[in-house]
Amino acid sequence: MPGHLVRYAFAIVAFAILARLPVGLDPAFQFDAALAIIWAFGILSIVVLTGYAGQVSLCQATFAGVGAYGAGMVVAGMHGGYLLGIIAGVLAATVLGVIVGLPALRLHGITLAIVTLGIALVFDRYVFQDHLFDWFTGGTGGWQVTQASLLGVSVDSRQHLLAAYDVLLALFCVVAVLIVNLHQSGAGRRFRAIRDSELAASTMGVNLTRYKLLAFAISAGIAGLGGSFYPLIAGSVSPQPFWVFTSLQLAAIGVLMGVRYVPAAALGGLFMAVVPDVLTRYGHGTFMNRFTYDISFDWFQLAVGVLLVLQLILLPDGVWGDMRAKAAHAWDRVRMRPQRKVRPA
Amino acid sequence: MTQFAAYTIIGLSLGGIFALAALGIVLIYRVTGVLNFAHGAMGMFSTFVAWQVFYGTPHPGMAPWAVTAEAIGAGLAFAVVLGLVLELAVFRWVRNRPQITKAVITIGVLLALQSAASLIWKNNQYHLPIYLAPQTSTFKIADVPIGANYVVIVVVALGLAFGLAAFLRGTAFGRAMRAVSDNPTSAQLWGVRVDMVGAVSWMLGSLIAAVAGILITPFINFDTTSLTLLIVDSLAAALIGGLVSLPMTVLGGFLLGLLETYPTMWIQSLGLPRLIALLVILAVLIVRSPRGLPAVAK
Repeated sequence: MPGHLVRYAFAIVAFAILARLPVGLDPAFQFDAALAIIWAFGILSIVVLTGYAGQVSLCQATFAGVGAYGAGMVVAGMHGGYLLGIIAGVLAATVLGVIVGLPALRLHGITLAIVTLGIALVFDRYVFQDHLFDWFTGGTGGWQVTQASLLGVSVDSRQHLLAAYDVLLALFCVVAVLIVNLHQSGAGRRFRAIRDSELAASTMGVNLTRYKLLAFAISAGIAGLGGSFYPLIAGSVSPQPFWVFTSLQLAAIGVLMGVRYVPAAALGGLFMAVVPDVLTRYGHGTFMNRFTYDISFDWFQLAVGVLLVLQLILLPDGVWGDMRAKAAHAWDRVRMRPQRKVRPA
Repeated sequence: MTQFAAYTIIGLSLGGIFALAALGIVLIYRVTGVLNFAHGAMGMFSTFVAWQVFYGTPHPGMAPWAVTAEAIGAGLAFAVVLGLVLELAVFRWVRNRPQITKAVITIGVLLALQSAASLIWKNNQYHLPIYLAPQTSTFKIADVPIGANYVVIVVVALGLAFGLAAFLRGTAFGRAMRAVSDNPTSAQLWGVRVDMVGAVSWMLGSLIAAVAGILITPFINFDTTSLTLLIVDSLAAALIGGLVSLPMTVLGGFLLGLLETYPTMWIQSLGLPRLIALLVILAVLIVRSPRGLPAVAK
């Protein structure tokens, strides 16, 4: 079976299984499931930008936040439909992505990391919080989205959280397949050429300006698409979920899971949304009636930091990359073929 | 005019702290090739250790200056150990990796240190700052009252900068550090102990970060995140020095401090200084070094 058919089949099967998975769970876990997809979009945006095009960014949560505020502004501030809100959110994030990409035309590596960290901090502390931008952020309380409908289906968080989740999941499956396809496409090959060597890529005739900006636009658009669903599932927007530490966590988890692989994004999103909530809820109690323990939310970030350091020393290709290499190795053993080198992505 | 002078003093002291923090970044970057995003977090953790000794432990019958000295000593001692542990446990193993990988590792260190400090000292709680000089002691220059704390900061910043420069130029170990920063392989061939030099620069960098952290506590919202995020301002100051030059870094720190302070005469905004720092970073990176940073030891 050709590769792309496998991909489509895999996406459809994954959607079919995952779509009804959170049905019986309590609303908080359904919220986690939806949030997992939003963060998966965030990490997917890092896969495109860092994994494919080799551009480091520490402000992906900022793109998601701009998407969320854009959607909130249109839906709650201008009483537009939610579809319009999503379009506005994605557009706003994409525009910001291109603006961030402009300095990236002359920078790379750690200098780009410094600039994007600065941008994340400016949006966290200034744009999302200053009264100058109240028209965009809805003031101190943020935008409140109480009821919303998408193409005639009620998808607001109060009663229809699962509907919003299913829409998000379907979108993620489509976008994920598109991003896998992008890897093999002409644009994807140019991205990888830029990642391996900008100098060589431009010598071969790759238009650096166009493709670097394209990578930033696609990446910011994906992050914004996820973020634009945030007001829908949470009911409101606030700066806290999109602050600078979320950007750092997204980058860290993206690298930890394997920054070159699309499935790692889904894995990372799930990790990022579910683990902190499980820790907050079940992390305290008594073990064997003797030892009390209290594992709070902060342990999650501590674990991410320590795991990232260990991973970069021990498994440079990330958790998914390592699993993939081991699986390929095992499959060769089963078929008694000579060992092959894992195809570089 | 008095107001202008007062803002200048605040700006210079803030700039002194940026300069100090940036010195540590430049030192570690030049000698080991690691651009340390965790620099603010390292300083933050050591500062909280000093805070814990200052406010959290009983000091029966000790003079106030002795308590301050004890707290600062504890914070600085912790900082040296922290720098050594990070070098031995993490950065020694990744010396030959690409520069960007090492920078991402420091982000992991940043996240771990920030959340560890939040667990110990709580995230959004108000913490009393550590004052080196009594808060009430001031003196006047041409009718402008100057708090002794501000003077302490500027003096310490300049003193450490000149001290570091003298150490790098005048002592054998300083020369060894500069040799490693120029070329680690040939330094090793000349008998320089590269491992030792790397460890010392991490300890020294961490120590300077702790000094900056302790000095800045009266100026900012003293919690685990603000001090960690000081990294952006410090990087801006370090970039003004091109991540190489110590005098330019100090100058850059003072310049950035003034730039961030003067607008607050007219505009009350918590986020505006961050915007100014970002604009400085962009201006420096795009105008000054379009081809990126100078090559350093891998």
